Amino acid sequence: MRRAWIVFGVVLLAGVAARAQSSPPVDQAEQVRVLLERIQQLERRVTELEARQTPQAGAISAANEPSPQLRAQQAAQAAAATGPGQAPHQHDVQEQQTATVQQMETHFPSLQIRGFGDVDFSATDQKGTTSGFNLGQLDLHLASALSHKVSYFGEITFNAQPTGYTVEVERNIIRYDYNDYFKLSFGRYHTPIGYWNTAFHHGAWLQTTISRPEMVRFGGTFIPVHFVGFLAEGNIPSGGAGLSYNVGVGNGRGSIISRPGDAGDNNDNRAWVANIYSRPQRFYGLQLGASVYRDKITLAGGDLREWITAAHLVWTKETPEFLAEFANVNHRAVLTNLSTNSQAFYVQLAYRLPWFERSVKPYYRFEYTHTPLSEKVFTNQDLIGSILGARYDISSYAAFKAEYRYTKHQIAEPYVNGVFFQTAFTF
Amino acid sequence: MNALTKRIAAVLIALISLVTIVQNGSSAQTARGGADIAVVVHPDTPVSDLTLSDVRKVLLGERQYWNAKLPVVLLIRAPVARERDVVLRVIYQMSEAQFKQYWVAKIFRAEAASPPKIVYSNDMQYELVAGIPGAIAFMDARNVRPGLKVLRVDGYLPGDREYPLR
Repeated sequence: MRRAWIVFGVVLLAGVAARAQSSPPVDQAEQVRVLLERIQQLERRVTELEARQTPQAGAISAANEPSPQLRAQQAAQAAAATGPGQAPHQHDVQEQQTATVQQMETHFPSLQIRGFGDVDFSATDQKGTTSGFNLGQLDLHLASALSHKVSYFGEITFNAQPTGYTVEVERNIIRYDYNDYFKLSFGRYHTPIGYWNTAFHHGAWLQTTISRPEMVRFGGTFIPVHFVGFLAEGNIPSGGAGLSYNVGVGNGRGSIISRPGDAGDNNDNRAWVANIYSRPQRFYGLQLGASVYRDKITLAGGDLREWITAAHLVWTKETPEFLAEFANVNHRAVLTNLSTNSQAFYVQLAYRLPWFERSVKPYYRFEYTHTPLSEKVFTNQDLIGSILGARYDISSYAAFKAEYRYTKHQIAEPYVNGVFFQTAFTF
Repeated sequence: MNALTKRIAAVLIALISLVTIVQNGSSAQTARGGADIAVVVHPDTPVSDLTLSDVRKVLLGERQYWNAKLPVVLLIRAPVARERDVVLRVIYQMSEAQFKQYWVAKIFRAEAASPPKIVYSNDMQYELVAGIPGAIAFMDARNVRPGLKVLRVDGYLPGDREYPLR
């Protein structure tokens, strides 16, 4: 543990040093502001000159009834435009405008690639574990508009293993947009149950904390993290309630319970998921929602019906940031009708401090998972734990995080203390 | 939950309350001023009046279509321009860093295929709004030229006392 604190000190010093080097000088921003003002002055001057040479008609669209102030301004422009000028440069101006528009219009396909990565250090007092560094996931995200209405999204991760690296296709989605109310996609998703699973994906830089909550851990089994099938999504006309939905049908859990059956379903039953959430207009930053997921799981011991219900409440602004999520997983054996209920929840609170150029965000998370001993689908996942940490944004695209964790997995086991450090970035 | 966890949570809540009080005090003193920022769209866009919440939905990428045939093309001035400052402060209510992170996350979540287009001058902005169907931009009301449609926001136009974008 002592070594871990030394590492923390080194990481912190490196962060401070790097920040000192990367912070742009204040006068540079001032210079840019002055130059932009100069551009605006020149533009006004060009506009005046053009107005003298080019007779212009009309004012701001007739759809509006301009305010008196704006009307006076337009009248002045119109008066300037009535001068006896010709239009020798009109053709050139139009050509230039067309070129600018063509340059800025979206061309298809328009592939964008973004990467995410993280490097971690961990040390705990749990017997049998070793401290040390490890490479997190190297994550590549692809987004490409194929037309105004068709888009492709992909996510591929490279994962460090003792004998090398494994490559995983995390998401692979093609989406057809009809309008804001109906978008239909096919492929492999992160299952839209709750909030975290579809908010942060594999980008550690996007999430405040170092790790995901246990209930949505990658490789975990509490909820099916991935989903292969199709999904309809969109907004629901609901006024100020700001409702949206996701409804999907897919393969459900595979033979390996943590995987979604990429190469085919392991039974003749499709899983379905429905998620509805609200972003009320009056409370910008608030999101609350509920999800249900239904599947039939085929195991060696027989079939079980799975019924997951989940709810979330989040406040996404960072002063404060609040995330809370709850899920209940019900498994009912088809033959015996015996059922079990497992619950998990987490509550996370963070706050971006107003000092240090708003680069520091302390956070706390409490999480809890309970699985009954009679649970048949997954092994015991009991957990009670707290995480206290801080995130320091070294730039707009990189962050350092430091965490202290105090967790206990089984009733008979002691609490484990641990310190964790991470640098996460996007590129 | 054991005693240590409760104590940590209590300290954290107290710290957050203190910071909120300090921050609210300082933000209340922030002065507002400057010319109105007009919301301008391509003349064929089938809207003429939006609420501030509607404008926010468009800017957040939650509304991506004016109608089934006409996608929204979002144009935003480059950093340091006053128009961008007003849009970030009043509509997004985000810092520059939060704004960048928001759009990285938005695309990463497969909720949008591309971020807003960045424009570097009013001339460029004017050319793009006039030339691209579905385009929407934010410009100093003094620089609005004929040929663009200026939208009412919450029923007000730039110059009105109650106009919210300034």
